[in-house]
Amino acid sequence: MKFGLFYEISIPRPWTPEKERTVYNNCLEQVKLADELGFDHVWAVEHHFLEEYSHCSAPELFLTACAVLTKRIQVGHGIVVCVPEFNHPIKIAEKTATLDILSGGRLHVGTGRSATWTELGGFGANPDTTKKSWDEFVRCLPKMWMQETFSYQGEFWSMPERTILPKPYQKPHPPMWVAVTSPGTEIDAAERGLGSLGLSFAGFEEQEKKIKEYRRRIQSCEPVGAFVNEQVATTNFLFCHEDEKYGVEIGKKLGNTFNYLATQLISTREVFSSPSYQSLGLLPALRRAATGPDASEQQTEGMAYGDPARIIRAVKKWESLGVDCINFILNANEVVPQAEVMASLKLFAKEVMPVFAKKPANVAAAAAE
Amino acid sequence: MPLYGTLDLTAVAKTLPTLANLDTEAWILPKAEMLQLLIEVPRSSTDGLLPKAMHPALPSYVILALTRYSESPVGPFTLAMLRLGTRAGAHPRGLMLGAVASSDAAAKELRNRWGFPIEAGEVKFLRRHDRVMGTVKKDGKTILDCALVDPQPVSGTDVQYINWVTAANAPLDGQTQTMLIQVDPKYTFYKAERGKPQVATFDAAAWNAPNLELASPIIGTCCTVDTDLPRIRFVMDPLKPVFQGTRRIRESRVDE
Repeated sequence: MKFGLFYEISIPRPWTPEKERTVYNNCLEQVKLADELGFDHVWAVEHHFLEEYSHCSAPELFLTACAVLTKRIQVGHGIVVCVPEFNHPIKIAEKTATLDILSGGRLHVGTGRSATWTELGGFGANPDTTKKSWDEFVRCLPKMWMQETFSYQGEFWSMPERTILPKPYQKPHPPMWVAVTSPGTEIDAAERGLGSLGLSFAGFEEQEKKIKEYRRRIQSCEPVGAFVNEQVATTNFLFCHEDEKYGVEIGKKLGNTFNYLATQLISTREVFSSPSYQSLGLLPALRRAATGPDASEQQTEGMAYGDPARIIRAVKKWESLGVDCINFILNANEVVPQAEVMASLKLFAKEVMPVFAKKPANVAAAAAE
Repeated sequence: MPLYGTLDLTAVAKTLPTLANLDTEAWILPKAEMLQLLIEVPRSSTDGLLPKAMHPALPSYVILALTRYSESPVGPFTLAMLRLGTRAGAHPRGLMLGAVASSDAAAKELRNRWGFPIEAGEVKFLRRHDRVMGTVKKDGKTILDCALVDPQPVSGTDVQYINWVTAANAPLDGQTQTMLIQVDPKYTFYKAERGKPQVATFDAAAWNAPNLELASPIIGTCCTVDTDLPRIRFVMDPLKPVFQGTRRIRESRVDE
């Protein structure tokens, strides 16, 4: 089992310059500590216009800072929106290659298509075609990284022959993933040999079904890249504390705040009737969970908060379902004080990570001391 | 946390519809034709329209809706509505700002039973091969002239209708109170089309939203559905966040 951090970079109003800077600095401090503690990944989303929920519109810059500040932790661009109105594919290839170089070959590239009208409408993108443009982009990217020269004539973009530079540090290219929120996207991932970057908070039963189908389908995939990245990552909240009751209380506060902010977004399906967005993505589960920012109801099973023993039980369950990596959301709207986030990371590294480490358990534990 | 509306509904209680009780009987409304145009609006132009209990949608948008009900307990009628996209806690809702019905009887019943901010007027729903058109006149003046242009067939499963909220006075706990009322019709789709919204005339003041400006069109749909106007199930305190101020009036639709 691998462990990562997952950043939406949620910033509460009022958005003073100091507040945005403080939250970004808090995130960087957490990443630096996570690197020292032995966490495997740090992922950052690409979102636009999502008030309070996510101010992470330039993740490549944040991840560059992460890469410069750290030595081992792998940086995940999660995800790059593969819709031409958001990102030109040439720029994606160039920026990701640069980040891979600057990080010394520690880049993972997540791909996706955006789920909200707030974003798609903001960029003037047509929701009907985002699946198709994503498909084009993910087939082009590995070639743009690997080939000496590249030319392309497609439905969503074209270019005459040029040399796209620089080339990634990793050979043949960085591992590729796709964000999985809507039902069926795990099959899209499997059929293309991409890692499944789960961004929903579905319960055990639903995740188990998705993972089984992903593992089955990927056996006969036609990879879009030079290799198959058979990995399943899932997203979770993390708050680890010696006192189980307090850990659960703060963890629920974190989860409720995140969920409530997420439910304020306008999913594409809510306003734009399209066969391309049959599902509301992660929102139905969040709406069931988010009766309010202070809700006391039990959230989705398997959440990684509480004391180390409780979290170990949750992680073991995810492991038994076939999850390879859990990426943790550490904060939302800064409802958890930075000192407690840092203490939670240390305790998790000391008490939980060794249980799941392939390397000698005392390495992570020693780092936490 | 998310922004809240600023409107204190209790301060404008006298202008709101008053219900005799919350025991409204359901209406069954078969084979209704529903035209809906969704259009983004500047957030600043919605200032003062949203009750304190609710969050604005991000971005702000309105729903212009015209529905031809071929059967109802008050006979056939056509209904036009303006709803503001909003959030009741975690849930998307359309706050009804104004409405016009083509018959006096329909206007009276919708106002008295569900709290529609409604008047009678001339409401026309017209179908052509290249467009579906809606016009609304009040006191001889056109207050809405709109169309769904170039309708193309889609599946009913592609269309999502969100529930409505009205603002009204009604007896609760032994006294008449100002409240938000959830109106949550159900739909069985027979036909669905999608096209581009077009608005030639929109008199914002006539829809109780004098500063509202229509901006970017999102999408339009026209669907034939079996629908209803159900019994009232939830009411909300207009001054508290809805996750604190929601009351369930009855359990479910089973009693309809």
